[in-house]
Amino acid sequence: MNLVLRGAAIAAVLHITPAVVLVKRPDAVRALLPGADAYVAREVHLSDPDAHRLHELVDWSPDDGVLTFYNGKAGATVVGALTFARVDTPHGPVEVAVGFTPQGAVRGVIVTKATVETKPWVLEAVGAGLVERYRGLKPGDVPAGAAVLAEHAGKLAVYIAGEVDKGVARALAAYGVFHNHVRA
Amino acid sequence: MLYDLGRADLRIKWLVTCLLATLGISYVFGALMVSLYAGFTPERVAATYAGHAMSMPMPPETTMVKEHPMSMLEFAKPEVHEVDTDLLIQDTHVHVPMYGLIAAALALVVAGLSLSQRWALGIITLLFSAPWLDFAGMWLTKFVSARFAAVTLIGGWAMGLGYLAVTALAIHQMWFRSRGVNR
Repeated sequence: MNLVLRGAAIAAVLHITPAVVLVKRPDAVRALLPGADAYVAREVHLSDPDAHRLHELVDWSPDDGVLTFYNGKAGATVVGALTFARVDTPHGPVEVAVGFTPQGAVRGVIVTKATVETKPWVLEAVGAGLVERYRGLKPGDVPAGAAVLAEHAGKLAVYIAGEVDKGVARALAAYGVFHNHVRA
Repeated sequence: MLYDLGRADLRIKWLVTCLLATLGISYVFGALMVSLYAGFTPERVAATYAGHAMSMPMPPETTMVKEHPMSMLEFAKPEVHEVDTDLLIQDTHVHVPMYGLIAAALALVVAGLSLSQRWALGIITLLFSAPWLDFAGMWLTKFVSARFAAVTLIGGWAMGLGYLAVTALAIHQMWFRSRGVNR
């Protein structure tokens, strides 16, 4: 019986909590593509060699082989682009929206999804200024939000910041290599 | 047989009843979770586990781009909850041990019921094979064919059926079948 109870306790601890939406996608789009009134979804279907190239860069490539960017325009003026990147953590998925300026620098990062378990860690990390650390990064830069937070945030907030770093790194690599370098 | 729930001490009967009630609550909320994230039709289960992979199984020879306009309404559309390979590995790793413990707990209840050996073995097999079918269906849907979504649905319903059968038999034998013993 003791073994059964221990097993149940371990399984309960490991159980993934459901995903929760922290910021709705339309709100993230409005915030990261400010003023845009027209949007185009740009789906980049990766060949095997390109998927491999991306994997070598950031130890990840999309499961379905498709990178999706959303380009925003205000009239004839390009406002920028954004992409959503998901990171699967042992505590469930975390999704980040990464917006880029027309010059290719990060305009902003919004954590759009977490789980019931990770939400407080995300909120603490964001409250400690995590997403501001990514502003201005360009493809080739290495996001280091977790390292910066290490001195003034809790361990779990620093941990989840590391996962957000991964999402931002994936978005940077995908944007840098494939957003403008493949013709429609 | 020494272990007979129908003749068991009141405390054991109450323990088993509470266990079954607790599992029942978790099954109800499990079903609600499924309705929120995957659904109860083969189409929705296939969309959850097969995702884009089934609609574009082969990567193109050279990277290609498709563009289409998006409205803000489309951003607001409810998303299909897609489970990719990494998440399915994680789900399998987390859920299968838990399902095994639940099946074991229910099988222990079955072992204490007055049933023919054939029926008891059949129900125990059902309790364990239902989660196997559930997860086998998910993996087959992802990597073989969207048609295997039906296997996941069969597994899910079989889990519910197994639970209901054990609960009905246990409650009946523990609390409603008179055997001339103290309740």
